[in-house]
Amino acid sequence: MSQTFSLRRTASSHHCLTHQLFPLTKAVVTLALMLQEILQELTRRQLPHGGWSYHLASRQASLEPTCLSLLALRSNESEAANRGLRFVISMQNPNGSWPAFEGDDREGSWTTSLALWALQGRAVHASLIDRGQRWLLQSKGRESHWLWKWKFRTTDRHVRFDPDKFGWPWMPETNSWVVPTSFSLLALKQWFPPNGASQANFRIELGVQMLLDRVCPGGGWNAGNGVVYGVPLAPHPDATAIALVALVTQTLNPTVQRSLDWLEHAVLTRSAPWSLAWALIALQSHQRSIREPHSRLLQSIEESRIEDAATLAVVALALKSANGQDIFGVRE
Amino acid sequence: MNVDRRTLLAGTAAVAAGAALSRRFFQPPYHSMRRPAHSRVAILRASAYDAKLEEILMQGLRLFGLDLSNRSVLLKPNLVDYIPGDAINTHPLMVTAAVECFRRLGARRVVVAEGPGHQRDTHLLLSESGYAEQLKEQNVLFVDLNRDELEKVKLCSNYTDLGHMWLPRTVLDSDFVVSMPKMKTHHWSGVTLSLKNMFGVVPGAKYGWPKNILHWKGIHQCVVDLCATVPVHFVIADGIVGMEGNGPLNGAARLLGTIVLADDPVAADATCARLMGINPDGVLHIHETAQFLGNSSLEFIEQLAEAVQPPETPFHVVPEFEHLRMHNPTPGSPHLG
Repeated sequence: MSQTFSLRRTASSHHCLTHQLFPLTKAVVTLALMLQEILQELTRRQLPHGGWSYHLASRQASLEPTCLSLLALRSNESEAANRGLRFVISMQNPNGSWPAFEGDDREGSWTTSLALWALQGRAVHASLIDRGQRWLLQSKGRESHWLWKWKFRTTDRHVRFDPDKFGWPWMPETNSWVVPTSFSLLALKQWFPPNGASQANFRIELGVQMLLDRVCPGGGWNAGNGVVYGVPLAPHPDATAIALVALVTQTLNPTVQRSLDWLEHAVLTRSAPWSLAWALIALQSHQRSIREPHSRLLQSIEESRIEDAATLAVVALALKSANGQDIFGVRE
Repeated sequence: MNVDRRTLLAGTAAVAAGAALSRRFFQPPYHSMRRPAHSRVAILRASAYDAKLEEILMQGLRLFGLDLSNRSVLLKPNLVDYIPGDAINTHPLMVTAAVECFRRLGARRVVVAEGPGHQRDTHLLLSESGYAEQLKEQNVLFVDLNRDELEKVKLCSNYTDLGHMWLPRTVLDSDFVVSMPKMKTHHWSGVTLSLKNMFGVVPGAKYGWPKNILHWKGIHQCVVDLCATVPVHFVIADGIVGMEGNGPLNGAARLLGTIVLADDPVAADATCARLMGINPDGVLHIHETAQFLGNSSLEFIEQLAEAVQPPETPFHVVPEFEHLRMHNPTPGSPHLG
């Protein structure tokens, strides 16, 4: 399949360069080349107007692959990065939010937090950021409304959760879920200093509490809740890893530690690049060993066909993280 | 009688508002009657997921005399999540057997497509559920509908107030859509069969993981609006091993030894429900789609193979749906409830 990314075809060039760049170890050189090749592939996949689609065959840019690609290309002051940035800016909705994809309705979506990541540290107009942040701060899970809180406390008890602890939805008028809450927490933590008394810090604290409330009984996170109809749900590696990245400042919390233990164990049997890449970023950000996810990720890159740009970008971010780079810039 | 301009305007506005309001109450929420005069269903027996599946399916498909020459076929299995040992997903061997059958029937292109509702890592789900290996072996293209190119489509019924939905171009561009559900009970909707299976075409990139808006707008109402808009041309339901109890993820496996084929998803679901010992008329989305989209009454369903034999013990359901279980049903009766 020609539309997929595979590293097999460049094995011989790696070999030659490894010898030329001595005394760097072969592993380091190969990794650097692998990362370089992924970034080049991302640049090749950029659409003419500056965005990225999930799939190469699609001409419809989506905000997730676009923002993840921009993060991966962050240190490259290239024309591709600048065009991507201009595309993100041009996509902002009148209400300050961002759409999920090109042509989407204008009410706003989960990708607003991703756009704010991509614009962090870039020279962009302050009002643009301000409007995005304000939209994100007023966006909240529908269970936060008093009527639904009452319903979930009294008549609808099949899903175990505390509706007082809410985060962010995928789209307006729906419940809070683990991944959009984690993405939003990262965006707010990037843009607002800790320990302030602002609305942002209130939402950050509430979002953290929501994640800790929705954890699966054995650690880790499913899509939204840990127990449904009295049955504990199995965690998902990517949702767990993304939540852990958002909880990087809570590393000593026992729930976080239990979830890190679960993730370390889970990566031993997984081979999908998306989950492995997020797991590596999470474990690295909590200063856990990344040896296993790293070697499995490299193996999966060799063996898998990575078809979507979002996965390719997260793999690039994971390789940068393994190299010691702080991907999201969120610290105590 | 003297009527001034203001009174006339107010009166006209009141009449218009009344007409609009009454239209909403008195007009059916669907745009057109598309229920066929008769529907065809074939109940096939299959004891296991093995190499015989393809021949069993092929014999069943031949009963329908499908002409698929030069048509693109999209198979939509139910691929939700993976829990080792559980009967959550349409079995991958059932899907690859169907791929082979449609190729033999002359289809120009056969793709397998799904947008899993909870798992964002579709690659992981494909590999853990055994799909990746089977699809690779048969050289079948898989499309992740959660990340497909999208098109805004006006809904063909108004059971919700959504009006439009964004739907994957791969689905909209296909000539022949085959819903391939797993026969399961569902803790929110009673059952999940070929109609509910179409939730998987709703793209996660727009609506999230899960597609929570469908719950807020009403699961049954969304199923009807979706199936009124995206035509399901054929059904292959995996009932060799189904799921009962707390489905769609945490129920118990239930051996049924059955595959159901149908040229009408409403007839397929009504038949599957009866085979599970569930009253189809009590399932809201089956009841509503039977008003305009397909046939749920046995009177209008032509059985091409075996007759409907409800089980001695109906599928277990969560307490909220206990009323759907048919105790001591009469086989073949149109009023099994």
